Amino acid sequence: MRLPRRRGNSLIMLGIGVFACGIAPLNPVWLDTVVLAGIFSLISLSAGLSFGQAGILSMAQGAFAAIGAYATAVCATKLGLPAWAGLALAIALPAALAWGLARVVTRMPELATALATLALATLLEILSRNWDAVTGGYVGIAGIPPVEGFGTGWRFNVLVWLFVLVAVVLYENLMNSAHGRALNIIRHDRTRATADGIAIAPLLSAMLATSGAMAGAGGWLYAHYITYMSPQSLDTHVSISALLMAVVGGAGYVLGPVLGTFLLTLLGRLLPAQEAQGLFYGGALVVILVVAPEGLLGWIHKVRDRIAARRPAAEGTRAAGRDAGVQEASP
Amino acid sequence: MFEYVFRGLLNGSVYALLALPMTLFFTTAATVDFAIGAYALLAAAVATAIPGPLGIAAGLASALAGSLVMAVIFILLKRTGSEGIRVALASFGLSLAIASLVLIVWGTKPFVRQTFTTMFEVGGLRVNPQGLLNVAISLLLVGATWLVIQRTQLGRMMRAAAVNAAGAELAAIPVIGVQCGTLVAGGLLGGIAGLLILHSSGMDFTASLGLTFIGFAAAIIFGIQSPTRCLAGGLAIGVIEALSAGYTSGMVTSMVPSLFMLLVLMFGQLGTGRFSGDRP
Repeated sequence: MRLPRRRGNSLIMLGIGVFACGIAPLNPVWLDTVVLAGIFSLISLSAGLSFGQAGILSMAQGAFAAIGAYATAVCATKLGLPAWAGLALAIALPAALAWGLARVVTRMPELATALATLALATLLEILSRNWDAVTGGYVGIAGIPPVEGFGTGWRFNVLVWLFVLVAVVLYENLMNSAHGRALNIIRHDRTRATADGIAIAPLLSAMLATSGAMAGAGGWLYAHYITYMSPQSLDTHVSISALLMAVVGGAGYVLGPVLGTFLLTLLGRLLPAQEAQGLFYGGALVVILVVAPEGLLGWIHKVRDRIAARRPAAEGTRAAGRDAGVQEASP
Repeated sequence: MFEYVFRGLLNGSVYALLALPMTLFFTTAATVDFAIGAYALLAAAVATAIPGPLGIAAGLASALAGSLVMAVIFILLKRTGSEGIRVALASFGLSLAIASLVLIVWGTKPFVRQTFTTMFEVGGLRVNPQGLLNVAISLLLVGATWLVIQRTQLGRMMRAAAVNAAGAELAAIPVIGVQCGTLVAGGLLGGIAGLLILHSSGMDFTASLGLTFIGFAAAIIFGIQSPTRCLAGGLAIGVIEALSAGYTSGMVTSMVPSLFMLLVLMFGQLGTGRFSGDRP
């Protein structure tokens, strides 16, 4: 079966979403896992967009999600506004902040941007701990109402996967456009990108803003699902695990982050203790960077290309290719 | 006022030790080791577990072991030809893993140890002898690093690798070897800093990222070029932190390193060399 090239990922995502919504209501534990996997898919998709496509390491995705979550939490509990009004804020605020940050880090070298996002995330975390009047300090905000019409678990699940589907469709659209190709050129060679007439800093800022908006939407879903928001809910660990999920699945591929999220959420359920989480995530990040720099999807693509290249070749090279294929598979 | 400045100078001298490895590794390898704070944490945690001078040796050895792991990761990543940002990400992962390991083994209790019980007074200031010891050790190490970089064959190789890696490779300098050596030396410096903090103000398992931050902020505040600027940066961060602790709320104090980093990155030129023509 051959999928239409420009819409392939969206159709696969539709399949995954329908499957996830289909199996989830069978078991409450599955439902919880699937809903959380959807929310984290959205956050790690945002990390994949910035790191995989533009080479910008953003360590503030968790913080952007937290802004989204706090925005809707404050709107719902203090101001009594409906959840959809909170959604507008949850998307607009992180996008504006990401845009502002990107514009002040002039010309956005990779390392400086990574450090700036990390510094911003730390500042926001400290702020959320101390700004008692708005964020509730260490105690956080409890009793965030569910989204009207999506109160029950399975309905909310459908909403979550609709969000992920929309994000994937938009993401794939972007990568099929001139802007998406420009982002890829920037990642490969900035000098070349400048020579091609790409305005690097504005494009990267817009990209970071988009990615911040996506993470903010994830935070909105998180707040309305958990109904509680505190500084520990979406912290630096979430940023790093979002990056990890994207890198594990294959940050350069549209569906890589979704695959990584599913794998890590399922594996994370098997962890013996909460303390071991950092060891697991940190170790997995290092191993995947060393063993499969392009992630699982990249590795699958490589193996498939090898098999495809081997088929028409002569008998002698076929054996050699098979040996190489076996070596490839062993780590 | 004067007391705050003095306290800040004492603390800042330790921050300079955290900034030193950042500068060395950034100038020779053009990337960042986020795990510096984790080496310091590991050294402090191991040193509390074993009493006496043996604990100090074991702490330094564990910090060295941590940085050796990072060096192996660095070589493996360089072999697959990936760019610096992946090294930074991997070091972040290592830092997370070490912090989690410390949490599993030692739990959430803070690490602190007092060596001197008596304070003496100088001109109305109560001074802990440990603070003076910190200043002395850090001055000694910064001076030694400066001498190594400026006066020895090794230092010339490091500077050559920093200025032009390809050219240094052609001149038969083992660039990756020099970079790994810098990484391991950074681990040792981070470990020493961790032990000094253990004996003065103490830390707990959450400290690793904060220490990395302080080190990085101190390294870049006056430009990331030389050990002496690190010392100045560390002292400046220490003084500002002490002043904000004295005159403002705890919230502002904990924000100081990140805020400084953000400010310097806004106005600074960190990493812009990669734009002006040189290809990765």
